[in-house]
Amino acid sequence: MTVLPASRPVAAPRRATAPWFVRLAFGWVALVLLVALTADLIAPHPYTAMSLANRLVPPFQNLAHPLGTDELGRDVLSRLVVSVRISLLIAFGATVISAVIGTVLGFLAAHFRGWVEQAVLTLADFQAAMPFLILALSVLAFFGNALWLLVGLMGLYGWERYARVARGLAISATAQGYAAAVAQLGATPSRVYLRHILPNIASTLIVSMTLVFPEVILVESGLSFLGLGVQPPMTSLGNMVGYGRDYITRAPWIMLSPALVIVFTTLAVSVVGDWLRDRLDPTLG
Amino acid sequence: MLRYLAVRAFRAAVTIALVVTFAFVVLRMSGDPAILIMGPEVPPEALAAFRRAWGLDQPIWVQYVRYFGAILNGDLGMSMRDNRPAIEMVAERIPATLALTVPALVLKLAVGIPLGVWAALHQGTGFDRAVMVAAVFGFAIPSFVLALVLVLVFSVDLGWLPSGGQGTVAHMILPVLTLGLGGAAALARFTRSAMLEVLGRPYIRTASAKGLPWAAVVRGHALPNAAIPTVTLVGFLVGSLIAGAVVVESVFSWPGVGRMLVVAVASRDLAIVQCILLLVAATMVTSNLVVDVLYGVLDPRLRHGARAAA
Repeated sequence: MTVLPASRPVAAPRRATAPWFVRLAFGWVALVLLVALTADLIAPHPYTAMSLANRLVPPFQNLAHPLGTDELGRDVLSRLVVSVRISLLIAFGATVISAVIGTVLGFLAAHFRGWVEQAVLTLADFQAAMPFLILALSVLAFFGNALWLLVGLMGLYGWERYARVARGLAISATAQGYAAAVAQLGATPSRVYLRHILPNIASTLIVSMTLVFPEVILVESGLSFLGLGVQPPMTSLGNMVGYGRDYITRAPWIMLSPALVIVFTTLAVSVVGDWLRDRLDPTLG
Repeated sequence: MLRYLAVRAFRAAVTIALVVTFAFVVLRMSGDPAILIMGPEVPPEALAAFRRAWGLDQPIWVQYVRYFGAILNGDLGMSMRDNRPAIEMVAERIPATLALTVPALVLKLAVGIPLGVWAALHQGTGFDRAVMVAAVFGFAIPSFVLALVLVLVFSVDLGWLPSGGQGTVAHMILPVLTLGLGGAAALARFTRSAMLEVLGRPYIRTASAKGLPWAAVVRGHALPNAAIPTVTLVGFLVGSLIAGAVVVESVFSWPGVGRMLVVAVASRDLAIVQCILLLVAATMVTSNLVVDVLYGVLDPRLRHGARAAA
């Protein structure tokens, strides 16, 4: 997909480099990804290892536990590192699932129109109208809390946005010449949609993913905070904040470090997403 | 206009039916409620009696039809633990939730909308940038973190306000602030972009060009047009009055609907969960319908019969 320079509309002049806070946000995202990928290597202790002699050590006092320990003497830094991995894993998995579901449904709606389109749009309205947390809580209550279930459930978050975007873009793409041309050449609908239309709308979908991703982190950490998401002994960022809350007066550091990671990560990803949107696709709400 | 409302009302009914079906499927197919409630060691005769008592021995489609019929009659089942009508138990909790969410909504509207409008009218100034930064932070800070930070500062450090419970006005301050601040940030951001979009339209330039004072342009042309998208968001906020406080109620041990939901989910009380689910859906759908009617009032194109783009 090379774009000829001449065909690019003369828009507002683009900055050669991103502003400092966008670069900072990219840096934070890269750091968090690195931590998630190398969690096993960089965690100084096993995240479930207890040390009853070192309970509730404040941060920056014991070199073995730079971020302190919790009420069972577990190293906060090690738990934080593993939590970052689990939370990101869930958020990534969920974002990909919801992008795939949404895009496929959007394409189906654009291809068949008629009642299929109406059904998809009604489902999308329903999803948008119901608070996701309530739906998620009802499902989790009755199916239990397995990790794969949580990922699958979170994968329903935000699919309606991809579906709307994909449907709208696919409809306008079919009106353009290229899709009709390959269809005339005998390409099957799946080939037209996946090989020709998808690459052309991919940038918009990726921007949508960066806008949904931080919300997924927030919802998952909310569920885990309530004790209804990731279950112990496994740990996630929301989970750490949730039990750290019981020690808020004596040991606020248990809850503060994961809370800060949640805030910085959602902040960084949404700054990156906003910036990408402005650069790639200013039309997206 | 009538046709438009009829379509909307039909969609609302479909949404409710979807939620009822969803509740039925999720709540009934997920496991044997008899074993969940009575425990696995109960003798089989007791389980059979329990199933008969709750109609769980019938084929699933019979259960579904009965379920639908019962809900149409306003019967939302008995709490399987307390043996009281679920709707009664949920209704008792609604005032406590509204005591938090209504003041929080007022706070959101009173802070968010003026900030958003002001920021849009002074785009690019330091004030505008400050509002945008606050809005981004408001989005990125989850409510439970904001709540715990407020507790840390105002309850633990300063000792000014209680960290949880119910009773006095002082108990309400932190939960209402938590709910209100986050929402105000989102509303400010949304209002600002709605306002900016309107301010860029040609009719605003026309209004200024014909010599109208700027204040009159803003009041007469910009605000009413920017109100249309904002009303949608406000409708969503009103619709979430019942369910919007799940996390905050849990943090502050506030005995409202949200906390009841979390407890019911943890203890697997089917009837309570589905009752709250349906209640939330009904509030959401009703407020969406009200928004659609308001659109008719706000948007003359709809009032005069032109079809809106769905």
